[in-house]
Amino acid sequence: MNELNVSAGSVLHKVYRDVGGVPERIVVEKDAKADIVILALPGTSCDMKIDVELVGEGAEANLYGVYVCDGNEKVKMAVDMYHKVPHCRSRQLFKGMAGGESRVDFYGKIIVAQDAQRTEAYQENHNLLLSDKARIDTKPQLEIYADDVKCSHGATIGRLNEDEQFYMRSRGISLEDAKVLQMISFIAPVLENVKDDAQRESLLSEYESNIRNIIRNM
Amino acid sequence: MANDILLKVEGLRASVEDKEILKGVDLVIRKGEIHAVMGPNGAGKSTLSAVLAGKPQFTVTEGKVEFMGQDLLAMSPEERAWAGLFLSFQYPVEIPGVSITNFMKTAVNAHRTGKGLEPLKAGDFLKLLREKMAFVQMKPEFAKREVNVGFSGGEKKRNEIFQMAMLDPTLAILDETDSGLDVDALRIVANGVNALHTPEKAAIVITHYQRLLDYIVPDVVHVLKDGKIVKTAGKELVAEIEEKGYDSL
Repeated sequence: MNELNVSAGSVLHKVYRDVGGVPERIVVEKDAKADIVILALPGTSCDMKIDVELVGEGAEANLYGVYVCDGNEKVKMAVDMYHKVPHCRSRQLFKGMAGGESRVDFYGKIIVAQDAQRTEAYQENHNLLLSDKARIDTKPQLEIYADDVKCSHGATIGRLNEDEQFYMRSRGISLEDAKVLQMISFIAPVLENVKDDAQRESLLSEYESNIRNIIRNM
Repeated sequence: MANDILLKVEGLRASVEDKEILKGVDLVIRKGEIHAVMGPNGAGKSTLSAVLAGKPQFTVTEGKVEFMGQDLLAMSPEERAWAGLFLSFQYPVEIPGVSITNFMKTAVNAHRTGKGLEPLKAGDFLKLLREKMAFVQMKPEFAKREVNVGFSGGEKKRNEIFQMAMLDPTLAILDETDSGLDVDALRIVANGVNALHTPEKAAIVITHYQRLLDYIVPDVVHVLKDGKIVKTAGKELVAEIEEKGYDSL
């Protein structure tokens, strides 16, 4: 099994462009931190399942994911976030869009063990549906056995807002550019977590040209 | 003189979801003029401004609109903006994730591309941005804020006038710019509109109340009622409406 161990006190930041390379299990030890960014580019189908285990006090795990689909992609992403001990923090932010005849399935669960007090765990999954033939399913779950925790989850599926588009067009921004701005600003909060400036900028422009192609074919 | 005419609206009828709102509007606006369109709630004032700006949800069923000699109704909203039309929204739209700087850079350069010009250099753009923000007394930190997100009513309206100053339109339509403004914000907004006005430009000020027209003095006042202009006169009409109300017309 593809496993990743983040040893006590260390910090790991990793960006996965190839979803197939994402470990199936990530174990984060005492006072260690894992920042993982997962990118699914157009044309990429995947069936990703990750278990994250926070096993030492003070451990922190942040998972960020983006998917952009416009054809026949099937994107499945599943995360089980295990808070096994007290005083750990986790955040999950997954955002993406489905056009064409693509399918997105997101499943995310936060499991807080009985003695994992003072847990802070947050999970968000937000989606844009770009075509009537695309399908998005999202299943956020919480399983909490401790009583002194801060946990939340939120999931949305929406469409591009036409009032925003008209406002931008009334300022002379073309419909195509308005959609690019909306879609890029939608996924930007995930890409912001890529720490290397040059890599982040090049990813932003790669996504921008992908998104422009998608809009032209819409 | 015919070539003084910026906007000519003839027999304009428009509906939304099969409900007719504008029932034959005629309007002629010449260079240098400020027109007020007043009227009771539900008269069609905001529909008139939305139709002129090209909001897709409205359907024009009859009539013609010429803007500087062009067929306005055949143009997309962005083409209308490039041609020099600007709408200040009654309810400016929030655009999460898009900063004012990025928004205005895209807008200004779209106008320039539309006119066959090169995009502005970053330094020149920022200089223009700062100058126009100061003009409407917007704090410089607003440049990084997401467009209208979390803005107060007054901040949203100042942002509208800031955008108007950036884009320098020939015809500005101000839809209920006074709604939700305290007297200080009203003064800043009105001073901005007055300072941008030149003999080559025109403005349509849409309002329910006299208040804004104390600051932006119109040359012509129209009363819109049930989708039609029922009276047109000089600025003295404003006081008459304030005194007698719309029912007497």
